[in-house]
Amino acid sequence: MSDAADPFEAIKVVFFQECDELLGDLEVGLLAIESGAADDETVNAVFRAVHSVKGGAGAFGLDALVRFAHVFETLLDEIRAGRKPCDDVTVKTLLRASDVLADHVAAARGQAAPVDEARSAGLVAEMEILTHGEASTPGAEVTLDDVPEFAPAFAPVMAAAPEADEFGFRPVAFSFAGLGESVAGAAEVAAPAGQTWRIVLRPHARLYANANETGILLRELARLGEMTVDLDASALPDLGDLACEESYLAWTVDLVTDAGEAAIRDVFDFVESDCDLSIRLTEAEPEAGEFDAAPADFDIAALLAMAQAEVAPAPAPVVEPVAPSPSPAPVAVVAPPTSAPTAPAAPAAVTIRVDLDRVDRLINVVGELVIQQAMLAQRVTESGLARSSGVSVGLEDLELLTREIQDSVMAIRAQPVKSVFQRMPRLVREVGEMTGKRVRLVTAGEDTEVDKTVVERLAEPITHMLRNAIDHGLERPEERAAAGKPIEGTVRLAALHRSGRIVIEISDDGKGINRGRVKGIAVARGLIAEEAVLSDDEIDNLIFLPGFSTAETVTDVSGRGVGMDVVRRSIQALGGRISISSVPGKGSTFTLSLPLTLAVLDGMVVTAAEQTLVAPLTAIVESLTPRAQDIHHVGGHDPVIRFRDQFVPLIDVALGMGFRDTPVPPETGVAMVIETEAGARAALLFDAILGQRQVVIKSLETNYQQVEGIAAATILGDGRVALILDVDAIVASWRKKAVRIEAATRPDLKLAS
Amino acid sequence: MNDVSQITAAAVRELIAFRIGEQEFCVDIMAVREIRGWTPATPLPRAPGYMKGVINLRGAVLPIIDLGARFGLNTSEPSERHVIMVAHVGGRMVGLLVDAVSDIIQLTDEAVQPTPDVASEQVKAFVKGIFAIDGRMISLIELDRIIPEPEAEAA
Repeated sequence: MSDAADPFEAIKVVFFQECDELLGDLEVGLLAIESGAADDETVNAVFRAVHSVKGGAGAFGLDALVRFAHVFETLLDEIRAGRKPCDDVTVKTLLRASDVLADHVAAARGQAAPVDEARSAGLVAEMEILTHGEASTPGAEVTLDDVPEFAPAFAPVMAAAPEADEFGFRPVAFSFAGLGESVAGAAEVAAPAGQTWRIVLRPHARLYANANETGILLRELARLGEMTVDLDASALPDLGDLACEESYLAWTVDLVTDAGEAAIRDVFDFVESDCDLSIRLTEAEPEAGEFDAAPADFDIAALLAMAQAEVAPAPAPVVEPVAPSPSPAPVAVVAPPTSAPTAPAAPAAVTIRVDLDRVDRLINVVGELVIQQAMLAQRVTESGLARSSGVSVGLEDLELLTREIQDSVMAIRAQPVKSVFQRMPRLVREVGEMTGKRVRLVTAGEDTEVDKTVVERLAEPITHMLRNAIDHGLERPEERAAAGKPIEGTVRLAALHRSGRIVIEISDDGKGINRGRVKGIAVARGLIAEEAVLSDDEIDNLIFLPGFSTAETVTDVSGRGVGMDVVRRSIQALGGRISISSVPGKGSTFTLSLPLTLAVLDGMVVTAAEQTLVAPLTAIVESLTPRAQDIHHVGGHDPVIRFRDQFVPLIDVALGMGFRDTPVPPETGVAMVIETEAGARAALLFDAILGQRQVVIKSLETNYQQVEGIAAATILGDGRVALILDVDAIVASWRKKAVRIEAATRPDLKLAS
Repeated sequence: MNDVSQITAAAVRELIAFRIGEQEFCVDIMAVREIRGWTPATPLPRAPGYMKGVINLRGAVLPIIDLGARFGLNTSEPSERHVIMVAHVGGRMVGLLVDAVSDIIQLTDEAVQPTPDVASEQVKAFVKGIFAIDGRMISLIELDRIIPEPEAEAA
């Protein structure tokens, strides 16, 4: 029992993984349609996505999902066939339908509660109205007899058919009942101005051997004007006698065009010697009867047009041996027997699915390799070998190689932020609906790549900030109108690489931060002193303070007890920074800056009280040797140092960490001016700077726990563990200590509370 | 024959005995992954006194607990003669600093006696029971209590 169930479950897992991708494609496609940037291929891609979800769901007996997907697909099919205009209302409905489809998938996966029946049924009804609103087709199912509309019929037939088997082959049911009609229909069409050319093309086998393709030639021809194509398959032998290298087919094309003979000849420029070609002027009315005997007279041009996006339309002259052949001739034309609906038009990059654990294991091992290599290099240096010795030279090459391996391995984990960005349009729609605001989400830089862990942990902060931007940032439509802004608010989500970090910007064109109120709240909550003089930037950044959650702004949407301080903490946990800038009346911009990877870090190796420490390079502004005259003491104890006419606190790290009990004179050490996430500056006092190095980050929490003031650990070339400083925490704890000292020594002073 | 030995093996526990100062302790051998010599550890700031710091164990950052200090015993500065037992405790790896590893003991559960009341509270917190072998008294250590609870520590 379990033996039978397990492989099935495994396939199901793959199906759901595919569903995620398909739903992503679906959303992207729909958004493209919404923005008007869609072509036929987009519509087809959207259709394919829904269709594939439905097909897979059918195989797993996920009935609710299949039913919903079917209605969805039917509507898309109508749009695809051009029987239904894709107007704004329809697109909005489609977008909502894609949300519900995602819910259905999540429910089928067991990740979410079953979908709200009413919501699902409502959308089904809506879509059915849209589908049947204009009485273009009587039934949702396109029947097999609808052969003139052969290409759209293709897919529904397949939907009913079993899923592709292991070779990717899908049996195609096909009826030829109406094939003859199309010729008559097509002949009626061909009566515009221009000359009518009759082109008879009989390719030799050599034409195909030279990798030419009649389908492409015909398509080229179709560009010149209206055309009618007749296929002469009379020379086609029985399947048994058929030589697959031979060419048996001929085409007669009636082309109505203004272009001259030369233009037509141009089309056949490269194949002229490989085929019998005749091009001549004819009467405007083509004679339909020329190939009466042929069972497969039909309009290839129309077929091509419809099938173009669906498959690479190859009227293959050769019967594929695997195709089921009720009658060889037509199948030869329909041929592409592989899973056409899933084949994307653009050649997708070849990918493999790999278990994440395996990648992580590889990354860990490469991390060890880097450390080991550094250790080896150090040993060699210590051994006093000449720099020119073979060992040293070989070691240098090894170092280059290790670096390259490390970069390549890191690249495996790098993922575009698209997977996170894709979830946002839905969120924006929902939040917009809930708050009654009209919002447009503009995204940019979806392809920016960053480590998978970072990508995964970005979703929550971005979600929160987007909610915030819509709920608090954007004004209601009437306010916007009054302010002379477009009623529809714009929220922009962008990602870009900047100096080895990924920067994510979330900006809105709303009212900006109400600084007076923010300051008022901060004072009321005792976060700042009433008389504190703050710059605009400082006020804006007050919203990140813990405890700054404004009761007045609690709403369904963003007042969920998660303040901006939580966002900031989760960003900081990733080694990132967050800041905000705001222009009253114009909007606000949140800027996140994150490391590209959580596995390595560029650091400055320093010593303090015989301990080796690493300071993250991103935080360092400058290092300097303190001079006695630059050091002052505020209130007698807290040293400050003058740094470019600015006094910044001087923090003795060894003392703060408890590595040393008595302070040393600052002049004997090195001060490193750092900037915290919040933009505050401080100078950290170390004994000496050893140099800059890229270090592999090792978590302390794996085997121990978080340590205040320490972000992580790393292993240096000598094999010893060095601690990576968390400069923010060091500055914060120094402040706390300073406050404690102040409170202890001057109890009369009332602290901000 | 084989079956019989397996049954006995199941009933008998294998313990690894070690010395801290004059006292002998032991832990379940299954918890110990390896034993290695002392290497200088990188001290951690604001860590309890028994936390000697962290060392590099083939790429993993391994916290070192001075077991004697953890028990409230007097300990000397670690030297090259000291030994680190790398143990698996509650899903984590820790290094336990002890004076020396002395023995591997086979023991049935019945031989373990409850900890007498005379022991100090701090020792009793970690000692599951005591037993006698060859006239030596050995205390059986409950490793799960060795690592401080992260929450309690952070609070």
